[in-house]
Amino acid sequence: MQNYRSRLVIVTVILGVAFLVIAARLWYLQVLRGEEFEKFSLDNRIRIQRVPAPRGRILDRNGRELVVNRPSFDIYLLPEDLREAGRIHGSLSQILQISIEDIKGKVAQAVKKSRFKPVLIAQDINRDQLALIEARRTLFPGLIIEVNNLREYPYGKLGASFLGYIGKVTEADLNSNPNVYSNDLLGKTGIEKAWENSLRGEDGFTQNVTDALGRNVDSKLFLEDLHNKNSIPGDDILLAVDIDLQKAAEEALGEQFGAIVAVNVNSGEVLALASNPSYDPVDFIKGIDHDTWNELINDKSFPLVNRATQGLYAPGSVFKMVAAAAALKEGVVTADTVHHCPGYYKLGTHTFRCWNRAGHGPVNLHQALVQSCDVYFYKVAEKLGINSLSKYMKDFGFGSRSGIGIEEQSGVAPSREWKQKRFKKPWYQGETIVSAIGQGYVNVTPLQVVMMTAAVANGGVLLKPTLVKKAVTYSGETSIEYSVNIRTQIPVDSEMLAHIQDALVGVVNDPGGTGWRARFSDFLVAGKTGTAQVVSLDTKGEGVQYKDHAWFTSYAPADKPQIAVTVLIEHGGQGGVVAAPIAKQIIRAYIKLLKEKNADDNA
Amino acid sequence: MIMLDRRLLKNFGWSLFFMILTYSTLALLNLYSVSYQTGLNYFKKQLVWVICGIVSMLLISFVNYRTLRQYALYIYGFSILALIFVLIFGKEVAGARSWISLGSFATIQPSEFVKLSMILAIAKFYHDDYQYTPYGLVELYKPLLLIGLPLGLILMQPDLGTALTIILISGSMVLFMGVQKSSILFVLTLIIGLSFPAWHYALKPYQQDRVKTFLDPSRDPLGAGYNAIQSQIAVGSGGFLGKGFRSGSQTQLRFIPARQTDFAFSVFAEEWGFAGGVFALILYSLIILWMIDTASRAKDKFAMLVSFGIASMFFWHLMVNVGMVIGLLPITGVPLLIFSYGGSSTMTALIGVGIVLGIRMRKLPVTGESMVFR
Repeated sequence: MQNYRSRLVIVTVILGVAFLVIAARLWYLQVLRGEEFEKFSLDNRIRIQRVPAPRGRILDRNGRELVVNRPSFDIYLLPEDLREAGRIHGSLSQILQISIEDIKGKVAQAVKKSRFKPVLIAQDINRDQLALIEARRTLFPGLIIEVNNLREYPYGKLGASFLGYIGKVTEADLNSNPNVYSNDLLGKTGIEKAWENSLRGEDGFTQNVTDALGRNVDSKLFLEDLHNKNSIPGDDILLAVDIDLQKAAEEALGEQFGAIVAVNVNSGEVLALASNPSYDPVDFIKGIDHDTWNELINDKSFPLVNRATQGLYAPGSVFKMVAAAAALKEGVVTADTVHHCPGYYKLGTHTFRCWNRAGHGPVNLHQALVQSCDVYFYKVAEKLGINSLSKYMKDFGFGSRSGIGIEEQSGVAPSREWKQKRFKKPWYQGETIVSAIGQGYVNVTPLQVVMMTAAVANGGVLLKPTLVKKAVTYSGETSIEYSVNIRTQIPVDSEMLAHIQDALVGVVNDPGGTGWRARFSDFLVAGKTGTAQVVSLDTKGEGVQYKDHAWFTSYAPADKPQIAVTVLIEHGGQGGVVAAPIAKQIIRAYIKLLKEKNADDNA
Repeated sequence: MIMLDRRLLKNFGWSLFFMILTYSTLALLNLYSVSYQTGLNYFKKQLVWVICGIVSMLLISFVNYRTLRQYALYIYGFSILALIFVLIFGKEVAGARSWISLGSFATIQPSEFVKLSMILAIAKFYHDDYQYTPYGLVELYKPLLLIGLPLGLILMQPDLGTALTIILISGSMVLFMGVQKSSILFVLTLIIGLSFPAWHYALKPYQQDRVKTFLDPSRDPLGAGYNAIQSQIAVGSGGFLGKGFRSGSQTQLRFIPARQTDFAFSVFAEEWGFAGGVFALILYSLIILWMIDTASRAKDKFAMLVSFGIASMFFWHLMVNVGMVIGLLPITGVPLLIFSYGGSSTMTALIGVGIVLGIRMRKLPVTGESMVFR
């Protein structure tokens, strides 16, 4: 047996070595890499679920809701708890009007990943469907109703063009904003986009302990590992817009393509901003579907373009205000200077026509504005020269963005430098002539015109339009407040502006004034008509309308201005005929609202 | 037969007995933690098995090992019959026909008990054989037959884990008794030569997967590598002192697969940490050491080789199971004796301890019999 004893010693040594190997491995796993594995085991069991913050509301100046959230009842099935799946699929298919194959397919797809994750069957079911399901709740084991937030528009399409729409995040959004997740909805245009950071709020999260199968674990086990964070709803945006005036503006536009902007001349607050055609923001609330989107972007009437801020038009005669102010300030004319209008104006070999082929005869500045005599301003333009004219265009806010916050175009206030850069060609004097009457290269937005009108009315202060008055947090504190914001003081003396103001009153109230259709009997409206030729630069195939754009820009009351209203009707014809009556409607609506408000205040 | 002699009681191996009691208590605590969320089913059943096992252990210890030697081949023959029986009438679980059903409470896995009967039979062969020089392959035809018969039957079930332990235990015994160097070389050459065709033709894809996954668990973290990774996360996250009794998140949230059986030790290592793991390891090693010590004091070749065989059974179960749990070896279905839930393997282990206890008690010659020295 001695022989075997020595072998047993060897066996003991082998046992010792084996012990050391296992102990060393335990030391390595548990002590050296213990913390690392501890993290792994935490990751294993804690699942973070994001609780999206409700988006802020958008309210009008009186706190009335334009954009709110509404609950969307979404139906999920939890495969694990599903009993008698065939029967449940059948009755759900009947109630929700989805095919059985659809439901089965969705569940089968999800089961491949996990039996313990709810499968979205239907989003935003209607009240009847909800009632039917709620009443039979016990018959649907494994059915989950989740409430999510969707955008709702109590006034329908009202204001859609500036409110903007929301949509699914893009790759670029994901890269630029760390708080945004795929499948999130965020503002794509308008207020929704520009004030995204206020509207958005802060997402919260809940942490759940899950077991190896991904099931939520209810037991008290491991609760100390968990942290939750409530979501903070986004701020409400309080607009300067008045819903009633906005309604009046959109109704006045009706089916006509064009834009109406109304602002407070003293504060720059935008009271109404209408653009037609527009779109229905409801199409976007769950992320727009492919077909509807294609329809919208291929629509030749461009419903997604906000004509008030992004539409570029030749201003026509409304631009004569700029030329008149420039002429007075530069001393090219005085209020008394008289020019003779034979109905045409010759420069070199070229003849420029007045809209009145018969001619206006001898006219002073006042008469030239009231009757909208072109020849008078051709002469003025020739004397001013483009450099001076261009400077005044810019002083009145043309060729640059107004700073309204939402998407807008800067338009063109042409100059020698601009033309050289844009076309690599020198400036011709004839182009100066047509610029004075708002034709040629001049391109403006209705918003720029209304801000110019407000500046003329308030004595020369070019204001930044204020679309949003303030942002208010969920708890009611004001987080951002926008006050009156002056862009520039237009360098034209107030007596000179007074001459122009007088003329604008004459446009509406003098006999022979082109804007008489905006006349009121009980107070004075000041305004200027414009009939902009559609330059045949527009070579976009068939169906092009060559009818003129109709403009009317105005303010009221003339003696103590409050509101400025600009109306543009695309291819509407004569501004005085088409646009002026619409402006009158808006002013009437404004006065009515003012009276109602006063009555309320006094009551 | 059963000698209730005072001297026997005096020589009773109390230290092994208490070590086994302590070890069994740890094993039961561990199963308590594993199953307390689901009604303690595994714990209760294993408690019954441990009690039955300890009673059997005590009873067996009072059986003179000479009697076992006398009947070794009969016991062996009976266990082979059981293996044949299971192949024909056995219950198929998870693709293997390894179980004999005894009503609703218990199923018996004869292949576990075969380990013991095979140890007895091999020991009997060497006891009756008087060769002192290392054995050649041809001279080994008898023990190889004794090993090959149950091995073949178990492979037919198929139960690779048990087959592997059969090879390891019997191989250890044969090697321990001495084999000619040329024969060892021949067998090694044969194994290496056959491994390539075996890999491609004999191993099933899932078996190949296990080996591949062992070599690189991250190649399939949600599939075949999942078990290996989760087990190591459990062990590692236990840290030095562990997460505490019933507080192992990997265990309680069911990230560890087969927590009550093959991966019972990862539960223990998670909840009791390095300190607990090493404690259990020391205890287990002392049990083996005590058996080796018994072998060295044995009075005949049979007793010595039986003690050694049972020690090597404990040893290989530890190595293969814990090696798998801590990621040193590929995943094979080998239980950790008593720790892993299972009546047959628990009974086998405790009866084995009983045999060793019986041998230890009889280190002095019994009256009327002369000592046999070889």
